[in-house]
Parts: sequence; C-alpha cells; structure tokens
Amino acid sequence: MRSRVVVTGLGIVSPIGIGVSDFWKAARSGQSGISAITSFDPFPMDGYRSKVAGQVRNFAIERFLDSPHGDRVDRYAQFALVATKEALADSALQMAKENPHRVGVIVGAGMGGMVMGEREITQLYEQQKPHRVHPNFIPVITLNSASGIVAMAYGAKGPNLTISTACSSSAHALGQAMCCIREGRADVVIVVGADASITPLVFAGFCSLRALSSKFNDHPEKASRPFECSRDGFVMGEGAGTLILESAAHARKRKARIYAEIAGYAATSEAYHMVIPREDGLEVANTMRLALMDAGVTPAQVDYINAHATSTTIGDAVEAKAIRQLFKSRADKIAISATKSLVGHTLGAAGAIGGIASVLTLHTGNIHPTANYDDPDPACALAGVSRSGQERRVKVALLNAFGFGSNNAAVVLKHAIA
Amino acid sequence: MATDPGISLKIRTALGQYLKRDPTTILMTDHLRDDLGLDSMAVIELLYRIEEAFDLQIPDQDLVGLTRVGEVVHYVEKRLGKTSASLPTKNTAKPSKLKNKKKS
Repeated sequence: MRSRVVVTGLGIVSPIGIGVSDFWKAARSGQSGISAITSFDPFPMDGYRSKVAGQVRNFAIERFLDSPHGDRVDRYAQFALVATKEALADSALQMAKENPHRVGVIVGAGMGGMVMGEREITQLYEQQKPHRVHPNFIPVITLNSASGIVAMAYGAKGPNLTISTACSSSAHALGQAMCCIREGRADVVIVVGADASITPLVFAGFCSLRALSSKFNDHPEKASRPFECSRDGFVMGEGAGTLILESAAHARKRKARIYAEIAGYAATSEAYHMVIPREDGLEVANTMRLALMDAGVTPAQVDYINAHATSTTIGDAVEAKAIRQLFKSRADKIAISATKSLVGHTLGAAGAIGGIASVLTLHTGNIHPTANYDDPDPACALAGVSRSGQERRVKVALLNAFGFGSNNAAVVLKHAIA
Repeated sequence: MATDPGISLKIRTALGQYLKRDPTTILMTDHLRDDLGLDSMAVIELLYRIEEAFDLQIPDQDLVGLTRVGEVVHYVEKRLGKTSASLPTKNTAKPSKLKNKKKS
C-alpha cells in the first residue's frame, strides 16, 4: 500500500511578510504586497512599460541566518534558506534524529540566480575582462544551487532535485515530492519554491513579452487583479515557500502536528505553444481531473481552488473555462482565491506559496480574499471568487499551476482528518 | 625575507572579511586550509579578491605554491616588484589540484 503524504511544516518569504504568521495575517486581510520599482540602480525605470512588482523589502540574509550558507548563493536561494529554516522549526523535525539519507530536498525554481548572473554578464561585456568573472558565477547561476545549499545547511542526503518548469515549478516540486514519499524513496522531503529575478534584464524580458500589467503603474496595489474586467497582465513577484512533506506514518511516529495531506497530483503538457495556453481549456481541465483521480476524490468533493490566476487576459479566462468544464454547476459553489492578487506572480515560488495558502485554508478554515476583484469579468465569471475573506470548513483543496512551455500541474490537498 | 606591511595588511584584511574575523588574528604562518579552514573554492575566491585588490592576474600554474598566508603575501610582493607577466615556479608543468577537484 502506498504511503499517505502529509504536510508538517511551513515557511515563507513573501512580499506581504517574511514568516507564515505575518504572511497569513496579511493575506486574510487582503493586503497587497505590490509596490513601485523605484529604480534598477543605476538606471531609472523610464524605459520600462511596467513599473510595479511584488518585492520583498529590506531583506538581509544575516538577519535570518547565522551560518555562512547564505553567503555563497544568490537572492532566490537565500530566500529558500530562510523559508526552509522556518519550516523545519515549525515541523519540529530534528535532523539529528533522522536518517539523513531518508530526507530529500526538491526545489522548484524558474529563473534561478539572476541577480549575480546579470551583474557578471554586464560587467564582462562592458569591461571585456574574462578573468574578472566571479569564481562563484557558475555555481550560483546553476539552477540547482538552492536545492544544493538547502541540503548542505541541514544535512539532507536523500533525493536532491530541482524542477524548472517556469511558473509551475514548485507545484511540480510538491507533486514529485509526494510521489517520492509514496514510492518509499524518502520519509521526508523538504519542498521549496523560490525565485528572485526582479532584475533589469528579466523584467525587461517580461515587459517585451507584453506579459506584465502596465495600466496601474500609479496605483501598484491595483495592478494584480485576477479574473477582473480591467486586468492587463501579471505583476512580477519574488519570494520563497517551503513545505515539509513526510509520510503519515513517519509524522505520527514522531507525534508531529499535521497541517494537511497532499493527496494527488497530475503533470501534463499541452504540447501547444511556448507561452499561450489552449483557449478551449481542455488540457487544463484534464490536468485537474487527473489530479483528482490520483487523489481518489470526485469533482463534487472539491471545496476550494487556489487558482493559478496570474491576472493575464487569456490565462485567467482559460482557467475559469476549464473549471467550468470540469466542475459544471458546482463550479459556482467552490471557493476560489488568487494568491497572486496579493503577492504578484512569484514564478518558480508560486506553486509553493499557493500551496502554503491552500494548506492554511484547510488547516484554519479561512479563505483569503482575492484583491481587486471589483468588476468580475464575464469571460471568467465564477461565483466562488470572493473579494472578501471567508470562513468555511474546507475538506478538499485543488492547487493549479501552469507554466510557459505548455506546462500544467495540479495538486490535490485534503484536510488532515478528512 | 621582510614583508611589505601594506600588502600583508591588505591580504589579511581580505581574509578577515571573508572569514568574518579580526585580520590581526590572522598569522603569516597560517595554512589557508588547515588553520583558516578555507576549502579549495574559498581559496579561489580569495585569490579573485587579491587579483582585484592588486590589479593582478594569477596564472593557474602559480596556484599550487599558495598554501599559507605568508606565501600569498610574498607572491604578491614578487609580482608587484616584477614587470614580467608570470613568475617561474617549481610546479609550472603540473596541473593545478585546485582546478581539478570539482565535479563537472
């Protein structure tokens, strides 16, 4: 019989709070973490169409870690270390008592170490001095730097993987970690989603894709507005989320507090287009259906969806259409929230941060509001999207995440005693 | 051989910053790995800082001889006192151990 997989610890670095308590308090009150980008020092924002982002303000690694691990990695991996420190403490897992080969780390990251990456590339081209490229450039930009440093920080010697599927990266990390524990390859997997690439080049790239909101530069807090009529693109965010997953048997044995169960997962490709989803929503609906089947639950049992909902015109409409296709009339009875309305689109961290919101919804019965849902777009009308917070017992939650490269993920979570 | 106090201080300051400790506690006789705890990657980072501080390029073949603080100081002194691009060393024919220790 396959192992059940549960969540026993949470940690987060987000634009609305560093630490789960601050994050959830802000999320429940619908507080926006979107603010103006003042400059990409040393040059101004004038040439950028979008000028807003979900930024983690005043982050300094030495405030959170007294080990040297943070010194050799980029900002996204520092976020990962801080979120993981909190999650491990929250789980009360004591590595000294664990078999280290049974503790894995799976990180989802979309962009990786772009802060140093951009700096070094710029310097090389400006100065043309190859010998002045920093010796840490390659280890820092290699996309598994976060999964590596997290394992080193805590002595986790089990499976160590990085999943990079753009915006669905850490939803897949959650799903793959679930599979890993189910199959008996690990007792515990530290699941992290992390990205920090609000950098001059990456930001310009998303601007050039015409993917970012530009209508609300003077009102940053209004820029991320999933499912709403006047949405005009996503808002870049940054952050990290960590969830400690372990087999239910392992958690019970050490008398751990269980937040929720990770019960099902599906991964698909639309095999369609690098950045545009199929407009008929069939593949998204199929992904959700497969995840529910994997969890052994029916569409009728789903109470809550943490939607991918990035605030793009087409993406939100496709997701809403897919929800309607799969859940039919029940679609309007399911509570839906878009965490990106609060923190922006944290790319590789989005699945983990949405996952944390889902776990807290199951655990507390509080559903955070979707900010700026002022005028619902008829093209993605779902009655369960709420502009105010709700209290509701949720037994089954669905987490959606879709990424560039025609990539879809869905994860099913259950109440701990459902 | 007498050392230039300015060069020595600059190198020990760079080491102190890296190790987050008082530079005055770092001795010329300290072994970079055995006494100061620098792994091969950390030594390469240190040399990168020294290259910047003294506007030098340190060839790969010279890395082998740089295992103690004093050796690094003397090396920099020699390099600053010479105009040739590279110093002859005993180990020029051998590949650097530092370079080849890492995984691909």
